[in-house]
Amino acid sequence: MRRVNFRHPLGVIKSEYAGRIPIAPHVHQVIAPVAGELSKLPVNTMFLTLFRRELLANLMTLRFCVVVVTCLILVIASTIVLLQDYKHRLAVYDTAVKTHREDISDAMTYSKLRLYVDRPPNPLSIFNQGLDKRLGNTVHVHHQFVPTLLDALQHGVDNPFLNLFSGMDLVFIFQVVLSLMALLFAYDAIAGEREAHTLRLMATNAVPRSLILLAKYASAMVCLTLSLIISVLLALFLIMTSGLIDFSGEDLLRILGILLASVIYLSTFYLIGLLISTVSRRTATALVFAMFVWVMIVLVYPSLTVATLDRLIGVDEKLKTAVSEIEQFWDRYDADERASVKRNSVRAYSYPTRIGHGDHFKYSGGYNDQTLLHHRFWWTYSYESIEENKEQFVANLQSHSQLLESSRLRAAEKTWLVRKRALDQTYGRKTQVVQMAIRLSPGAIYDLATEALAGTNLRGIERFAESSRQYRRALIEYLHEKKAFSSRQWFSHDKGRVFWDDLPQFSYLQSDLGSDMIDVVPDLIVLLAMNLAIFVSVFLIFRRQAL
Amino acid sequence: MIISIAKRELYDNTMSLRFALIALLMLTVMVANAAVSLGTYNEHISHYRRRVAHELKEMRQHAEHFPILVLYGPGELHKMPSALSFCANGGEAFLSTKTDGRPLERWWGDYPARFNGIWRMTYPQSNPNQWNFLPESTQMDWAFLIGIVLSFSAILFTFDAISGERTRGTLRLMLANSVPRHVVLGGKFLGALMSIGLPFLMAVLVNLFLLYSSGSIRLDTSDWVRLGAIVLIGFVYIAIFITLGLLISSRARQSSSSLMVFTLIWVVWVILVPNTAGLLARSLKPAMTSDEFRERREELYQQVTQKYLDRGLLDSYFDPREIPPTKIALLWGEYHLEESLSDERFLEEHLRAQLDQVVIARSLARLSPTAVVQYAIESLAGTGFSRHLQFLSQVKIYVSEFRDFLVEVDKADPKSPHVLFFRPAMSWEPVPFETIPKFQDRYSFGDSLNDATVDVLLLVLVFVMLSAAVFLSFLRVDI
Repeated sequence: MRRVNFRHPLGVIKSEYAGRIPIAPHVHQVIAPVAGELSKLPVNTMFLTLFRRELLANLMTLRFCVVVVTCLILVIASTIVLLQDYKHRLAVYDTAVKTHREDISDAMTYSKLRLYVDRPPNPLSIFNQGLDKRLGNTVHVHHQFVPTLLDALQHGVDNPFLNLFSGMDLVFIFQVVLSLMALLFAYDAIAGEREAHTLRLMATNAVPRSLILLAKYASAMVCLTLSLIISVLLALFLIMTSGLIDFSGEDLLRILGILLASVIYLSTFYLIGLLISTVSRRTATALVFAMFVWVMIVLVYPSLTVATLDRLIGVDEKLKTAVSEIEQFWDRYDADERASVKRNSVRAYSYPTRIGHGDHFKYSGGYNDQTLLHHRFWWTYSYESIEENKEQFVANLQSHSQLLESSRLRAAEKTWLVRKRALDQTYGRKTQVVQMAIRLSPGAIYDLATEALAGTNLRGIERFAESSRQYRRALIEYLHEKKAFSSRQWFSHDKGRVFWDDLPQFSYLQSDLGSDMIDVVPDLIVLLAMNLAIFVSVFLIFRRQAL
Repeated sequence: MIISIAKRELYDNTMSLRFALIALLMLTVMVANAAVSLGTYNEHISHYRRRVAHELKEMRQHAEHFPILVLYGPGELHKMPSALSFCANGGEAFLSTKTDGRPLERWWGDYPARFNGIWRMTYPQSNPNQWNFLPESTQMDWAFLIGIVLSFSAILFTFDAISGERTRGTLRLMLANSVPRHVVLGGKFLGALMSIGLPFLMAVLVNLFLLYSSGSIRLDTSDWVRLGAIVLIGFVYIAIFITLGLLISSRARQSSSSLMVFTLIWVVWVILVPNTAGLLARSLKPAMTSDEFRERREELYQQVTQKYLDRGLLDSYFDPREIPPTKIALLWGEYHLEESLSDERFLEEHLRAQLDQVVIARSLARLSPTAVVQYAIESLAGTGFSRHLQFLSQVKIYVSEFRDFLVEVDKADPKSPHVLFFRPAMSWEPVPFETIPKFQDRYSFGDSLNDATVDVLLLVLVFVMLSAAVFLSFLRVDI
């Protein structure tokens, strides 16, 4: 008996709908009289009936169709473009790795070693590009300098001018298009029924108001989630069939996390729409207000905040004090050098050029670049052979070199501590403040959370700098073990070249999902809390409202 | 008649919630723009003046001994910042503010000092994104206000302009009087244009007032004309979206579906298309990577040097001051000329390839009127890519002028053996500083108009096409 009752209202919907374009308000008008029968049902069945009604009302509308089709087209087009881009970046990375490996084997003496490590492009950057493409992806590893992410260069910058165009990724599409859709689903949910007077009708029967809200929410979320899942699956299908990327189990978990974050994000926007719809007397007002809120949250507020805070938060003063601190370390190094020159009776400034042939190479950046705290960042010497008539100096030079390089190492370590503190207090702090401020916008929270899930946020990429620092320590250990600084092979390969077989290998310790969750979970909790708060306020307003 | 309809629309609109919201939005953007731009122009222009003065000072020193001038050339050439950069930032951060005429520094290593290459024009690049940890954001400038906010306002004002009246039945009522349909359409158009134009003008004035009264900008007549032109372009752009809105609204049965279709078109056209262009261009025509570039440049140098070594560059000692010059001195001159010119050509080609990519990307982005309007505003404000191209072409003209000047000076000295660009065998006299051609970056209003014309025409074309479409569609539609 119950089954029949249950099916009955839906049958009505279907027959009413045959042969014309279904549009939401009409559905409500058709369904409302049936609500009288609803009130006789137990709560869960009542909910199911309401849910089905709303679901069908949503699914069979033009807007659902438009949402799905638009989203699919956009996702397909951008996945193809993003895959192309990823392929290109991967090729550039492979070339860079190959070149840098050759650089190592080309070095015949210890001082000639040029060690670069590279960061591969993150396949999940297709979902959220984050900082993956923007920040440096190759680091020069040298005992004389402790690298940070700011010192990383880009192995594959083919055209910096293209930065004129802002990038995009799948999350951007979801962020912009699906949030809009959520609002379009929500704006007339309450206001529309109020205008059609079906709400009053429904409430005359003993249908709890909370159930009406819940049913509306659940059904809209099912529709939105459905279009989201279809899009993501399609994107995944395209990515998998391209043969470029093999996602590991963890990657798939991350994608699942992105999907979850997207659902929560959509729910936030649906609820915002619902709130607006509840408060507004008319659908037209609700619509205008919803659109305005959307533009504010998604487009204006984040950019406005970043632009303003970037300008307001200065960094110069703190950097200046750091520079003077760093200068002291290097003054001490200069004193060490002078002492060593005296003790080992080598001629000071002639020492590098007079001993033999070789060349000099530069680090990136600039000498004494204050904005990035590059102090004494520039010159280091490398040698290949010793001139014949200089043989007598070699022993002295070896002990000089030992002293000098150890002193350099010390200065470098101390510089690093000061530098790290200063950079954290300036650029790091600025980033934190800006990120905190833009979190007022759910769009920004969603972006940051998915960035962390994709591993393309600052923490994810900082792991690369951390790995390169670890590698630098391994390199120093290796050089100490080989007594490289005081060896003849530091200067010359005439008594046998250096073979790099046992040089430690670089391994990029990418952050694991667990540690990335540190960034993700608070954001998701905030987003969920927003959801809850909005839902509760919608409920409270709706419960006391005259319909 | 058309005026009275427009008036009615304007009254309706200004009394509505949407008008208040939009005015608020525009004001927020413009006040933020003023806050961010406060003092930036003064910083840029004083930096520019400092750098130019520094370069002139260096040049004055170099001029004391002609070979030094030949070695260091014109030094850095700087791009003059635009006073209107608050209107359109144009991604200035990614466009280098200078070109650098620097010598090839190779006086250590395996080559003797004589291999020291003379100056050639190089094009340093600017990629501050590499040090930027902040979340991606759009500049809050006039281009944003016009491109995004104005077009968005057009959605809100027009989505129910016709469909709303149709639903309420007032459209039929109005047409029952002897009002021609195109008059209704014209009235609606004008009404919407004014309802958006008013808050736009207000926001613009507030912005200018804030910047002007704080002393952040000083504008001359030509700047005011530029600003006027930018506002006019803004109006053409609003007109495009209003006609689009009327078109959709006249076809849609329901205001809600009209809004949905319009919003989707807007999101794709205004937000997504311009963003995809850069990615597409990169994959359509990949340029050299920086590693490849360095390698090829080094290869070229080695190739040229080897060629001249084979021809006997280091074969015998000679006196470079001998007149007429010895064969080997001439060979040195030839070597330096070819080395610097081939390097410069290589650098130019590389730059050209990169710029071409941007040109392709911009053409793709022009599928969206938002990109078109942004480019037009940039050209008029004297910022952005087209301005950069203009700067580069000025540099190119100056480079050949400077080279000719060096040749002239050498010719005028009777004691010189006249081996071009081989410094030991050129004039050794000082050069009067005043006679050296100086680089003066210029960007006249004519240049701006030239650059903006295509974009403005494109906008007008889109507008005319859409107007024709909406006219025809509204004439035939059932009420």
